[in-house]
Amino acid sequence: MTSSHAFRRFAFAYGTAFAAFYVVALKLDLALFTVYPSLGVVLLGTHHARDVVAPSLGFLAPAMYWYGWTATAALGALLFGFLAALLPEQWTRRIWPGWLWAVPALAMMACVYLTLPWFRL
Amino acid sequence: MATALLIVHGLVAIALLGAISHQTLATWAPAHARPGSFFGRFRAVPSASFANAIVVLYAVSTLLGGILYLYFRVDIRPELERAGHWPALGLFDLKEHFISIGLALLPAYWVCWRHPRADEPVRTRVAVTSVLAFIVWWSFLIGHVVNNIRGFGS
Repeated sequence: MTSSHAFRRFAFAYGTAFAAFYVVALKLDLALFTVYPSLGVVLLGTHHARDVVAPSLGFLAPAMYWYGWTATAALGALLFGFLAALLPEQWTRRIWPGWLWAVPALAMMACVYLTLPWFRL
Repeated sequence: MATALLIVHGLVAIALLGAISHQTLATWAPAHARPGSFFGRFRAVPSASFANAIVVLYAVSTLLGGILYLYFRVDIRPELERAGHWPALGLFDLKEHFISIGLALLPAYWVCWRHPRADEPVRTRVAVTSVLAFIVWWSFLIGHVVNNIRGFGS
């Protein structure tokens, strides 16, 4: 019974925190790692091509950040989730359960805002 | 390999789309619908029994999509960039973001359906399910558009 309550607290905190952390990771470009699929290379941290002389080289070795952003948000959310799981039940009962859908919905809107530049090209 | 994965990804996505659409419509359907009516039959299906299948299908679909994304980034996306399909790429980026957010919601979604607390408002479960349904529909439609982009408007 106790472990099921702890898992509930973890799940609710994880889902909510992930959405918030994901937007932060996207906005600040905080990828835990960068994937270069054509080279089969994974580098720790966010790496952007610095080749201003031949930017077309980016086509030869495209970088992927989505996995890294997801990992960054997951790491932050895991910490948040574990903290929530350790909290006493009566503390978390006061928290509005609607945050579980409101924060992801707001995060999705923020993602739309951050993606708007694609539609102005 | 990529083609076979894409077909399996599409099939899993269709199964997920069906399951989550049914569950979402059942939660939104009027509670006092006539037993023989369309909504009455929707309501009659135990929606909670869909939860496990939806979690598994979403996770498998995300995994397959995550693998296919590597092929997409190397072989497809540069072509779309050269062709100037920026809005389509923007929509696809949104699909990535939404899927990640939805994936993280799965544990809470599962808890809401399989271990609901008596004092928990039903609208939390309905809202979380609706958010997931939106993500699944968005991903399906945008994935489909990008997959067939050369056939659109050409």
